[in-house]
Amino acid sequence: MDIWHFTVRRLIQIIIIFFVIFTVLFLLFRLAPGDPISRIIDPDMTPEDATRLMAQMGLDKPLWMQYLYYLKNVLSGNFGHSFYYGKPVIEIISDRLPNTVLLFTTSVILSAIVGVFLGKIASWNKGKRTDTFMTMGALVTHTLFLPWMALILIWIFSYKFSWFPINGMISEDVWLDPSSGVVRKGLDVLHHMILPLSTLFLIYFGSYLLLMRSSMLETLKEDYILTARAKGLKEKTIRNHHAAPNAALPVVTSVGLSLAFSINGGALTETVFTWPGIGRELVFSVSNNDYPLAQASFLLIAAVVLFSNLLVDILYAYLDPRIRY
Amino acid sequence: MDAQEKIIKKKRLKKPGRERRWKKNWAIYKKNILGRVGLALLSFFVLMALCSYIPPWIDPMYQPMSGVDPEISKSTGPSLRHWLGTDFMGRDLFSQLLAGARVAFMVGISSAFMSILLGTLVGMISGYMGKWVDTILMRLADIIMVMPTLLVVLILAALFGQLNIWSIVLIIALFRWPGVSRVIRAQTLSLRHRPFIESAKVSGASHMRIIFRHIMPNVLPLSFLYMTFRVTAAINIEAALAFLGFGDPGTVSWGMMLQWVWKTGHMFKAPYWLLPPGICISLITLSFYMLGRAMDEVLDPRLRKEGERY
Repeated sequence: MDIWHFTVRRLIQIIIIFFVIFTVLFLLFRLAPGDPISRIIDPDMTPEDATRLMAQMGLDKPLWMQYLYYLKNVLSGNFGHSFYYGKPVIEIISDRLPNTVLLFTTSVILSAIVGVFLGKIASWNKGKRTDTFMTMGALVTHTLFLPWMALILIWIFSYKFSWFPINGMISEDVWLDPSSGVVRKGLDVLHHMILPLSTLFLIYFGSYLLLMRSSMLETLKEDYILTARAKGLKEKTIRNHHAAPNAALPVVTSVGLSLAFSINGGALTETVFTWPGIGRELVFSVSNNDYPLAQASFLLIAAVVLFSNLLVDILYAYLDPRIRY
Repeated sequence: MDAQEKIIKKKRLKKPGRERRWKKNWAIYKKNILGRVGLALLSFFVLMALCSYIPPWIDPMYQPMSGVDPEISKSTGPSLRHWLGTDFMGRDLFSQLLAGARVAFMVGISSAFMSILLGTLVGMISGYMGKWVDTILMRLADIIMVMPTLLVVLILAALFGQLNIWSIVLIIALFRWPGVSRVIRAQTLSLRHRPFIESAKVSGASHMRIIFRHIMPNVLPLSFLYMTFRVTAAINIEAALAFLGFGDPGTVSWGMMLQWVWKTGHMFKAPYWLLPPGICISLITLSFYMLGRAMDEVLDPRLRKEGERY
């Protein structure tokens, strides 16, 4: 089985999982106690608009027909109308999605790379002071309560020192100024991103460090490391070319498994920093009883998690030929 | 008669052996610095939870939820009367913090226990039965595993309105078993073809009997190890939920305290209010985590041999 076959098979599995989630979510929203129509039609809508939307969603038809209507609507990008914003949900979430993806991917990649790197060093210095310091540091930062950590960072770096903006993603004066170019705008986003990114990084790099460290210690007991030593290779070569790539494999798996966990943290971070992403939109829509937006945000987050899982799987298959053959 | 005597003898012999094993395990555990620190921290939190009954008994104004100091109507700093100060309406923060420890244990342990029960059961059945049962259960586990639990609870809160603390505990348990069941399944798979299972099968034991009498005793230690990690997950999810404003409004948890300090805009003004709950959540997580790692060492002889400390 080559990597394409593998990818296609995983893709099909993931699509099936997505449909299961989609169906359960649909049933939950239709069958939960209370009037399901009140969860789809904005109570403030004019009667004409409401009837039009009812017909569009097939709300006068039986449940299975409604399901097909809903499926058709979602596939054509129609997620309904947001109660709070008064505009189509698709406009809001397509506006928010890139922001979430930006924060999510940078934080996952950054914490995984730094965690793996530090874990390698810690395992190499096992029992020494470097190792103790790193392991303890990772344990402590990893167990910090994320929203609290975010508040503390805001308190110190935004409030006391005013190095970084307190919230948001862009400063209006930069973006409304016609003379500011792409670089200035990009730097502005980066400036806003540093604190949320540090929060996520601080919480998540520790788990990768600990995992890489123990995986590396396991690998160092393998025969091929002994062979490499016997060949008289340099310690650095053994560490970086023989041990580390093999030890990193379980870490890649764990990146995939912890994605759902990271997206929880992402939603919390977005909320505290009012970062305009999907996670914050979900929290916000749930407190406003904005059902169509909540449903769509949840579906989209599930899709993001599943899709990144696929990417991690492909990466794993690329790194470990045993999976492919 | 003879057979019965033998059984009685066997039971008598078993007891000292078990005791010795406990002692040996405890000796291994004690050597682990992390385990000792974790246990000490945890005892401190247990003490806090127990002490949470004292302040309301001294004076009703120390009731964590409903007690208000009649002379104070805004947040004040630490004083002799209120050791950690008061919140925005004059409630005592110290008694809230103590009550939070009680809630954390309640949420963490009950939710972890349920998810471990479910996970162990599913893992054993799936590993032992194999075939289509295994496929269905593990696919289900895969689906639940990719769901971000916090956001699932959020969406359920949107549909069913304010959730009380027990529903939150139950939902966390229902969405947190797949990790455990995978581990237990792998363990069961390795046990399934061992001679003692085969001989039980040959002597006509039912599937139920094999699963509960022969497999379960061998996987339970692993389940309990995973329970420590589930406790931290449950405590953190509940705290995060409360922090976002979807907690049980009738319960004072640490997450709730953080939500109050955040939502009432005291987070830059009142460090005496912002710091303690966050430190408590982080430390209780850390202590369960350390406990788990130390137990890992007791259960996994491979870790012991190489003299690993963490």
